[in-house]
Amino acid sequence: MELLTALAVGILFAIGIFQMLRRNIIRSVIGLVILANAVNLFLLATGATTGLEPAYSDLPGTHSDALPQALVLTAIVISMGGTAFVLSMLYIISSRYQTSDMDEVNGLKK
Amino acid sequence: MDVADGLIVLPLLIPLTGAMVALLLRGRVRLQASFALATMLLSLTISALLLFNVWQTGRPLVFESGGWPAPFGIALVGDLLSLLFVLMTQLVIVTGIIYAMGSKDSVVRYPAFYPLFLTLVTGLSGAFLTGDLFNMYVFAELLVISGTVLTAISDDRYGTEAAYKYFYISLMASFFMLIAVGSLYVSYGTLNMADLALRIATDADKALLWPAIAFLMATFMVKSAVFPFHFWQPDFHAAAPTAVSAMLSSVVVKLGVYGFLRMTTLLFVAQAPQIRGLLLVLGIVGIIFGGLSAIGTHNVKRMLAYSTLAQIGFILVGVGWGTPLALMAALVFAFNHSLIKAAMLMLAGYVASRAAVKSAAFNIVTGVGRKAPGAGILFFVGALALAGLPPTNGFISKLLLFDSGIDAARFVSLLIIGLASILTMIYTIRAFQRIWWQQPAEEETIKPTGDRLVAPALLVGLILLLGIWANPLVQLAQDTSAWLGDPLAYIQAVLGG
Repeated sequence: MELLTALAVGILFAIGIFQMLRRNIIRSVIGLVILANAVNLFLLATGATTGLEPAYSDLPGTHSDALPQALVLTAIVISMGGTAFVLSMLYIISSRYQTSDMDEVNGLKK
Repeated sequence: MDVADGLIVLPLLIPLTGAMVALLLRGRVRLQASFALATMLLSLTISALLLFNVWQTGRPLVFESGGWPAPFGIALVGDLLSLLFVLMTQLVIVTGIIYAMGSKDSVVRYPAFYPLFLTLVTGLSGAFLTGDLFNMYVFAELLVISGTVLTAISDDRYGTEAAYKYFYISLMASFFMLIAVGSLYVSYGTLNMADLALRIATDADKALLWPAIAFLMATFMVKSAVFPFHFWQPDFHAAAPTAVSAMLSSVVVKLGVYGFLRMTTLLFVAQAPQIRGLLLVLGIVGIIFGGLSAIGTHNVKRMLAYSTLAQIGFILVGVGWGTPLALMAALVFAFNHSLIKAAMLMLAGYVASRAAVKSAAFNIVTGVGRKAPGAGILFFVGALALAGLPPTNGFISKLLLFDSGIDAARFVSLLIIGLASILTMIYTIRAFQRIWWQQPAEEETIKPTGDRLVAPALLVGLILLLGIWANPLVQLAQDTSAWLGDPLAYIQAVLGG
């Protein structure tokens, strides 16, 4: 299970960073979203002592730490708000500049 | 914990409540603005009283939210450093609101403008006051999203583009911070900064300690626009509405400085030499790069944004030297720079509001100042302060910084930053000369009135006051720096016993 989580985090990070580096502005936002999930998964993994038990369990010493779950809940909410906001700005930008190519969104450089 | 400790929530609670009430007043913009100003004045008074109290008693105020004792619950810690930064923030925000009230921008009539201003100061004050690393992330997010919305609604047609850029990189920074938080939590099992400092001091061999330091450094570098992560900053600060960019470029960038101070004096004391070495190099690179870029720009606001890059570099050099004297100089520098940069950006915005087309580009504002001699005097004093000449507070901060460099015998870095200071002189004088000396292309097109000059006049008054009567601030910074030299006192104050 640990290996699976580690692999999932690693693969999500890889995909996220790869998508972020694309020139297409929409793909780069998708990369950002994937990266947010990779980070959240990583944060969640910090609380798992055995990785299989829920936060509340009758067996002593086997339950996972509940605090990272609270942290990741906050982080998910914040990243969701951030994603919604970044997408709405993306909508304005793509309709104003009539392009999805990052290099053409360069009004500030002129 | 007694009643006085509970008062430490007020600098947070008042602006936050004010923001909610101001939203209800969204139909009546004048009333909303006055209400926001009154809220901030109240909050500023209380922060000043709290700072004075902590300074007199020498005991920080610790509030344990929800009644949970410190390492388990979230503690708000108002020590000298936090409260000094909170006071600086709220002082500048008050002038920002005054400027916005007299501004001709259409953005200030946006119904959520003042509420967003108040959430901005809540986020910033919260990040300074919290004693919990994850809580700092939450407040930093509040700050980032308020600042981004305020820029996205700017009159500048590239506002959204700049806001998008900033938000994108800030989301990256918050991922960095979450990774650092996760790494520290899995290694040490706590997020309370005092508890964390204690545990890191006893066991520094965890594999994830250095990655966590690196990610935290990256986070604060983005927040403060330190050299390799600076690229969003000039765009963002130039495109924001004037009242907002004056806040962003003065107090908001100080979050990273605060983070570095906490990292080197509390969290990672044993690892501080390496962190300081890096900060020193980045600071010097920032000073040179920022100075040269400021000379090369074609826009006053952009020039001042690059100048922030250089001035943050000076502060980082102070943090990087790390002696008590240098920390004191860095604190005074940070405080004074906030006042100077806010005043300068407001004056640049004022000039832009008088120009034929609302823009701060040099070819448009050339000669505009000939019709505005009052603003010229203010700008001249601000330029003196930025370049570090008497009788302004900028002189005091540079003097203290160079003095601490001599004291620490860091002559090579001292020589470099001494020479790079000349760059500041070049670009401020060039801006002054283009706006106030040169003939305008068409004199008739200059508008008869612009934004009100009350706010920059207030700030310039403070600049002169702190230049002539610098002793209280220097004393305060000295005591703060002495307090920073004793992390155990902080830990004891938070954890008790």
